[in-house]
Amino acid sequence: MKAAILRERSGALLLVSPVLVFMAVFFLWPLWAMVTAAFVDDAVSKVLPRTAAIIVSWDGQGIPSEAAQKAFVQDLTAATDEQALGEAVRRLNSAASGFRTLLGRTIPAVKAASEPAQVDLLTVDPRWKDTRFWVALKEAMPPYTDRNILAAVDMKRDGSGSIVLEGADASAHRLIMLRTLLVAAMVTIACAAIGLPYAMLAASLTGWKRSVLLLAVVLPLWTSLLVRTAAWFILLQNEGLINRALQAIGLIDSPLPLIFNRLGVVIAMTHVLLPFMVLPIYSVILGIPGNLMSAAQSMGAGPVRAFWRVLLPLSLPGLLSGSLLVFMVAIGYYITPALLGGANDQMISSVIAFYATGTANWGLAGALGLILLVVTTMLYTIYGRFSTSSRLPGA
Amino acid sequence: MRPFIQFESVSKAFGSVTVVNALDLAIEKGEFVSLLGPSGSGKTTILMMLAGFERPTQGAIYLDGRRIDHLPPYRRQMGVVFQNYALFPHMSVAENVAFPLEMQRVPRAEIAERVERALDMVKLKQLKDRRPSQLSGGQQQRIALTRALVFEPSVILMDEPLGALDKQLREHMQLEIRELHKRLGLTIVFVTHDQSEALTMSDRIAVFNAGRIEQIDDPQIIYDTPRTRFVAEFIGETNLIEAKVASVDDHVARISLGAGLSARAHAGNGLSAGQTASFSLRPERIRLGAVPEGSNALDMTIADCIYHGDHMRVQLTRDDFSLVARCERLAGNWTVGASVVASFDPSDCTVLTQ
Amino acid sequence: MFRALQFTFGAAIVIFLLMPIFAILPLAFTSSVFLNYPIPAYSMRWLHELTTADVWRTSIVNSLIIGGGATVFATVLGTLASLGMRKGALPMVGLLRTLFLLPMVVPAVVLGVGMQIFLVRLGLASTYLGVIIAHAVLCIPFVIVSVSAALQGIDPSIERAASSLGAPPVTVFRRVTLPLAVPGVVSGAIFAFATSLDEVVLTLFVAGPNQRTLARQMFSSIRENINPTVAAAALLLIIGTLCLGGLAALLRWRQKRSALKTAPSAI
Repeated sequence: MKAAILRERSGALLLVSPVLVFMAVFFLWPLWAMVTAAFVDDAVSKVLPRTAAIIVSWDGQGIPSEAAQKAFVQDLTAATDEQALGEAVRRLNSAASGFRTLLGRTIPAVKAASEPAQVDLLTVDPRWKDTRFWVALKEAMPPYTDRNILAAVDMKRDGSGSIVLEGADASAHRLIMLRTLLVAAMVTIACAAIGLPYAMLAASLTGWKRSVLLLAVVLPLWTSLLVRTAAWFILLQNEGLINRALQAIGLIDSPLPLIFNRLGVVIAMTHVLLPFMVLPIYSVILGIPGNLMSAAQSMGAGPVRAFWRVLLPLSLPGLLSGSLLVFMVAIGYYITPALLGGANDQMISSVIAFYATGTANWGLAGALGLILLVVTTMLYTIYGRFSTSSRLPGA
Repeated sequence: MRPFIQFESVSKAFGSVTVVNALDLAIEKGEFVSLLGPSGSGKTTILMMLAGFERPTQGAIYLDGRRIDHLPPYRRQMGVVFQNYALFPHMSVAENVAFPLEMQRVPRAEIAERVERALDMVKLKQLKDRRPSQLSGGQQQRIALTRALVFEPSVILMDEPLGALDKQLREHMQLEIRELHKRLGLTIVFVTHDQSEALTMSDRIAVFNAGRIEQIDDPQIIYDTPRTRFVAEFIGETNLIEAKVASVDDHVARISLGAGLSARAHAGNGLSAGQTASFSLRPERIRLGAVPEGSNALDMTIADCIYHGDHMRVQLTRDDFSLVARCERLAGNWTVGASVVASFDPSDCTVLTQ
Repeated sequence: MFRALQFTFGAAIVIFLLMPIFAILPLAFTSSVFLNYPIPAYSMRWLHELTTADVWRTSIVNSLIIGGGATVFATVLGTLASLGMRKGALPMVGLLRTLFLLPMVVPAVVLGVGMQIFLVRLGLASTYLGVIIAHAVLCIPFVIVSVSAALQGIDPSIERAASSLGAPPVTVFRRVTLPLAVPGVVSGAIFAFATSLDEVVLTLFVAGPNQRTLARQMFSSIRENINPTVAAAALLLIIGTLCLGGLAALLRWRQKRSALKTAPSAI
């Protein structure tokens, strides 16, 4: 009896394990790699382990002890991995400018020395008397950092180590996050305003009329996102169909700016995400027993009151789960704003992509990605809890 | 010598819920036994244990002297007919019927011949290339039956096989299955919650309640002398009245029914004078007349009369004591409020302790 | 009055939803160099360009290679997982299912950043295998949803019946479960292929210039130098997805029909 259950369970495990391994390696691990990229800062301490062990006790005044300098020279001598060394140099240079040229002179000198233990840094380069470089070196040692996650919300640590706001000109991550939420909210509201009546209309019709309405929702879903975005490009551009049509009927004299701005992004995203709003609402409305409206009317409620008191409250669960879905997808959107938005319409995804592919700043990309991931996961959790518990009985 | 099929103190629990409780059941070869009970009484679980889809938590099951409760279903050689027929939707009728023969590695030519013969028997040979979804409910049912019979299993198990059919077809299929049972000498275990189906088809009926057998007997005994209140109420209709036992003598009890009335009735075992018991009397066993006719005669008043087409139901009262009688027609002068005598034989009523 | 309002609203939204798709298609046949109306004359030059210009032709081939690879990966893995999660023999199946569906939810850019960091470490960045794996992660949820639905549609008593008729578990699987699950597997594979075909964001992060897919090529073409080749590519994609979608719908319809086991038809 127990053995049978065990056998069945191990069989099931055997079937599931390939995907489990695949997803753990190629889905969870990459996400983890992104999160660690935001927090791990071991480029320097990995290359200079001996220095790291000694320099922590230095008080930051003057220059570190003889022993620390010796350890530093020893580390430089032992560093053979060119790539790792290069990363360490880059990290140090970003903390104290001039570090690259300093090390560019120091490293060959140390490596060329016949007795590395006898090398005196101060004679190799007098700049080693500058406390600034040693402070940068010490501060680069801790293998973990909150620099990126603070920078992601426009904050940093000042000289004394306390957290302060970044100067207004330095970065604009908060602004971009706010903009992301704003655009997502605008798209959600637009989808809800169109989707709710549309779903109700579709549910109230029968036959071919209903089929046409549903087909119009499903067909775009089946069409490539790139195709739809390219199509909106054609429609919205200054010489595009919409401007031409409006000019032809004499409504406007010069073309309306519809593309490379907020309006274009919202129009195209609403088009892309509308099906995610219509379909949940539609399925909820279909689950409402048809005779409820008749029952309400038989009890003396006019059509309008029956709508307000019966149909609308019962379709709210669909509206809510559709809105959550649209909002959740919208905040992570990349392609549409990237192609149809202007510089001031870029959302958080564009910024992440910029840091990752443009400047190779994995730390900041990871930190911003983590924030987006956490927000999305939270919305998904709410969505999951909500959309399972709110089903109508028997629906 | 063990019986052909034997359950030996079999229990089945799902988690903390005990569905079958220390069941002993013996079925002989060639018998048609119905397992009858309300839903949740454990009857389907018993069938599933016999077929091998569930394993007993405790106890042993024997088939033909061999212990089988550890065998997987495909080694038990039992034909199972499922409630929804469970025909393979992706195979034709002929392929469905051939399936068990293929599993037994019967030679190809013989399979074709036996499938042909089996379909002939249920008069569905012309449908052999159809898909199950193209058949009517009754046809699907007959194919399912044929598929379960074609490999000549030692036992046929049926799990409410007629539940999805309409009344007329159901009655027709009842006769057909009964006929097959007689002609082929099949051993059939038949699960149903329909008492009339059990009464018409079975050699014996096991009435289940809450995982236990309340009574197992041939249909007539089950109907005429139910052993427990549950059986009396579940099978047919009955007047079940609380009564006091005055005396017991050779399986005949003298009881007082209230309102100053008393009667003599068949008594089950373990009944003694002075105890409170239930008196069960079938409505159709009551004869209404102007004068007593039989050893029990109660003077009653007609309280209500309901017309049912082929019969009437008459509500009789006397003070706070009341009975329902069933009769074909009423004499002309009996209207509501008239006095009548309700007569019945002691052998037609039972006193039950539980 | 109310009816007219209803009709106007419905028609307006249907036009809003469908107009972009229908607006782009004729431009595949324009003779102009601008992706714009009016069309001066009809010509095949952009379709010709699509199939002969190196960047476009390689991108189509790449899309087929990567889409095919990702589909195979995702279909095999997703089908196995759906079978394993089917009977509820595993503890925490709900959690597993959520994990497997998560790639649908995680923003593509987030996954892209992680993938890029991770694949660089593995030495798989800018390789076909790397892109195929990245696409497969996105495709697996679609396969699991589709196959699980097909498996759920199989009445357990059908498998019990096979078992009682003498079929050992492997035979039950081969003769009953698998044939009944095939439509779900095929439509899962179609979904997977369509997903890979349309994927841009992950491709931006993990693919090198040699693995540029059609969608990726369209993306940079729209961004940098839009011309009617994009419309020609769109036509190709629409025809492709419509064929795939039609196939999937056909399969679903057949599956539904065969699932109606107790269809009451008077004969």
